[in-house]
Amino acid sequence: MSEMLHYDFMRIALVMAVLIGLTAPAVGTFIVQRRLSLLGDGIGHIALTGIGLGLLTSTSPVLGALVVSVLGAVAIEVLRARSRSGADVALALLFYGGLAGGVILTNANGGGSASLQSYLFGSISSVTVADLYVVAGLAAAVLAIIALFGRELFLLCQDEEVARAAGLPVRFLSVLIAATAAVTVVISMRAIGLLLVSALMIVPVAAAQQLTRGFWSTMLAAMGVGVLSAVSGLAGSFQYDLPPGPSIVLLALAVFVLAVGGGSVVRRRRARAVAAGDAVRAGQGAETRVDGEAEVLRG
Amino acid sequence: MTAPPPLAMTGGLVRRDGREVLAGVDLRVAAGDVLAVLGPNGAGKSTLVKALLGLVPLAAGRAEIYGEPPARFRDWKRIGYVPQRLPMGGGVPATVREVVASGRVARRSRWRPAPFADRAADRAAVDRALKAVGLTASARDSAHLLSGGQQQRVLIARALAGEPDVFVLDEPTAGVDAGSQAALASTLHELARDGRTVVLVAHELGPMEPLITRTVELGHGRIVREDAVREPLGRPA
Repeated sequence: MSEMLHYDFMRIALVMAVLIGLTAPAVGTFIVQRRLSLLGDGIGHIALTGIGLGLLTSTSPVLGALVVSVLGAVAIEVLRARSRSGADVALALLFYGGLAGGVILTNANGGGSASLQSYLFGSISSVTVADLYVVAGLAAAVLAIIALFGRELFLLCQDEEVARAAGLPVRFLSVLIAATAAVTVVISMRAIGLLLVSALMIVPVAAAQQLTRGFWSTMLAAMGVGVLSAVSGLAGSFQYDLPPGPSIVLLALAVFVLAVGGGSVVRRRRARAVAAGDAVRAGQGAETRVDGEAEVLRG
Repeated sequence: MTAPPPLAMTGGLVRRDGREVLAGVDLRVAAGDVLAVLGPNGAGKSTLVKALLGLVPLAAGRAEIYGEPPARFRDWKRIGYVPQRLPMGGGVPATVREVVASGRVARRSRWRPAPFADRAADRAAVDRALKAVGLTASARDSAHLLSGGQQQRVLIARALAGEPDVFVLDEPTAGVDAGSQAALASTLHELARDGRTVVLVAHELGPMEPLITRTVELGHGRIVREDAVREPLGRPA
């Protein structure tokens, strides 16, 4: 463990892993709530075209990916709002176009399969301090958006009609959440790779909700799982010379499997506690709190 | 000049797949009314209340909320909408309290960030709403694990938490146990006494029947019958 801290790129990559582990599941909580678990995948496909454009115009691949994936995310929201049924196929077309276009553009640039591979599955040996600043800035922006608009986004993801009847700018918030997901894809692509990026948005949330009862506690637990799997996956990939993205994702999946097991135990215990609590309430006519879970209440 | 009514519709027409779901409806909901919208399945009851709030676009005619078309209406904290059911299960769990607290969102100024919100007032309103529907003890439970009737009470509490002047409830009694129906009736009674305006879509009225001041019956997208049943209970808010 201490050996890898001797390398500059590993120190940078570890800080990056913490940032990715925090942001991806935080955004993912809203994405799962909206039942758009595959949104991140689609944006990842589209982002590849951005990378190709960035390489081709010899600007920055990250900037290209950022611009194209945010535009793609906005397009997805517009399509979804237009029609539910037509959107499905339109989205698929957008995704395939993005992936195919990205591969062609990267090749046209003479990038070849090695550089393509590093974008698709992640590569951390080449990260620089400048990359870290970009990722840190974007991660701060994503977390700030969640802090500022969290309650509105929560209601939107619960029920779009109620959100509209509460006077919320539904279209703006929908685009905001998709654009935030796009930014998260760009943040994570360096370490995890575009094909697996959305796993870190979804898997930690799926793991956390086995054990939690509330939305904000799910988000916090998912962020914990995200950091844990990103950091240890990165360390493991350094130790055993494995690609970082798949290592991180497999670790997150392992946590999920453990959480499913733990969740069934917790639920059984809770059911017993509730039954006991009901008996107490029925006997004394008093309200008793039976749970010990810390409630995460947001202002 | 008299104040504009909370909800009004003139010649409201809604088409879906070429069929007229709402075929020219005129309706005026006065402040303090407890209006029941009745009718068989597919008569257009839900469409009517959604169109009143601008959630379903009108192909012709106009809807007004306090005298403004829904697209221009800004004072949404005066409106509390209770949809037909909790679109939950799967997704991410949320506690009863979290769902109810989200009803306060319309009370916040749009660009005032969460950290500066008036937490004490929010908390008090959420506590009152939970108490009103009898769910105080379940505040920390996952909402999607509750029974259908209890979930319906969560949705009503969410609207109550926003402390609106107008409540629009879409089938609050559908598939709801007797206990929850009674809880709903007593909540409505308090609202009516406070002079709030209530629009209620229902199949059958059950224990809420004594509270209703007006009924409108829909059939095939038209109003087929209108009755003024009794005087409002409270002074209009």
